[in-house]
Amino acid sequence: MIGEILVQIVRFILLVFIQVLVLNQIEISGVLNGFLNPYLYVLFLLMLPVNINKIFLLFICFITGLSIDLFSGTAGMHASACLIIGFLRPGFLHIIAPREGYETTLKLTMSGMGSSTFLIYASSLIFVHHFTLFLIESFNFLNFFELLLRVITCSLSTLFLVIISQFLTQGNREVSK
Amino acid sequence: MRNFFLLIRKYNFFIVFLLLEVVSGILLVRNSTYQRAAVISTSNELVGKIYTAYSNVTDYLVLGETNRILSAENARLRRADSVSFYDPSFRVLRVNDTIGLQQYEYISARVVNNSVSRVNNYITLDKGSLQGIQPEMAVMGSNGVVGIVKDVSEHFSTVISLLHSSTKISSKIKKNDYFGSSVWDGENPQIAKLLDIPSHAQVKVGDTIVTSSYSGIFPRDILVGVVSEIGTSGESFKEIKLKLATDFQKLSYVYVVRNLLKSERDTLEAKNLVIQ
Repeated sequence: MIGEILVQIVRFILLVFIQVLVLNQIEISGVLNGFLNPYLYVLFLLMLPVNINKIFLLFICFITGLSIDLFSGTAGMHASACLIIGFLRPGFLHIIAPREGYETTLKLTMSGMGSSTFLIYASSLIFVHHFTLFLIESFNFLNFFELLLRVITCSLSTLFLVIISQFLTQGNREVSK
Repeated sequence: MRNFFLLIRKYNFFIVFLLLEVVSGILLVRNSTYQRAAVISTSNELVGKIYTAYSNVTDYLVLGETNRILSAENARLRRADSVSFYDPSFRVLRVNDTIGLQQYEYISARVVNNSVSRVNNYITLDKGSLQGIQPEMAVMGSNGVVGIVKDVSEHFSTVISLLHSSTKISSKIKKNDYFGSSVWDGENPQIAKLLDIPSHAQVKVGDTIVTSSYSGIFPRDILVGVVSEIGTSGESFKEIKLKLATDFQKLSYVYVVRNLLKSERDTLEAKNLVIQ
């Protein structure tokens, strides 16, 4: 239990640092500017334990978003987008749950859930998060299609990194076994 | 009350969610100017109509006080603005010509006050006696005549605009030199009348009217306007309407013309009067 908490904390710190120190610094000049900004830190929220207390989850989401906000000077923007994840995650997990329900030891990873389920789970929550984030950022529905395009391309780049990180950690686990 | 607590317990997840969203929303609004502006504008659209109706009524009650505050603020801001500092720089435009004798000098000045709507309109310029401006000097814009200097202080001068009931500018038809005087009838600030043109003079619409040098104030051949309408007044004179070359409604920079030979000419012409 303590080990699990420690793993989560390390993952939190690692992902937040990767996000603010590496991914937030991405600046692609030209047409693609703003269209390929991944937000990998949501992986932390996706990988929190299944049976986590829902209220506690909300607070964790809030704090995670706020810490990203702290670094990017956008107080509240990531926090509210992350809260959407915290709000939708329990219900969404409930919908895609297997008939017999989740085992409490289930890890919300690609290997633990099966790749197709994990992809559906991750991509939908990432999409919702990015959509909220960019909506708050632009704060109106002008250029809605550009916004949508941005959400889709950024979601895809985030998903790409999520899958890569899954393969990387999966490999480590198998080696450590 | 018990039901209320039950409700809270039942929906605590949602309530916490909402609460945290509100907190992040507050952070958002307080920290980012762009989002703040957007919130303000959207909330204006939602609540705006009610507030507008409300303030439409209340604003009237405090109009006097508001006006006083606003004018005090305006005065304070004006005082700090660079516009309120007098610009002492000026240029005397002068051509050095060794063949001809310089007769006219041009002093550039900025229009600081102007009117076109009265019967007697005056223009105030930001150059005065220190810059060499004296009464009865001609004033012209880049398009044509503007008026005649009336009074001069150290830093300012007032100009009797062409749009003045007593202004008479000695003018002539450029192509055949018939001369008359241009006056303003007090109606349209773009239209003047050319009087004293004999009825046998050939004029048609579009002819150019320029100043003659008979008055000694204006140099010759400065554009006054273009003939726009020809009528007859009485038997022997035509009544010609001019479209003025100068747009008095957007006058901003003018030149004051100094006639270097004016005093010489005036003393000479004064002798005629003595003899008579």
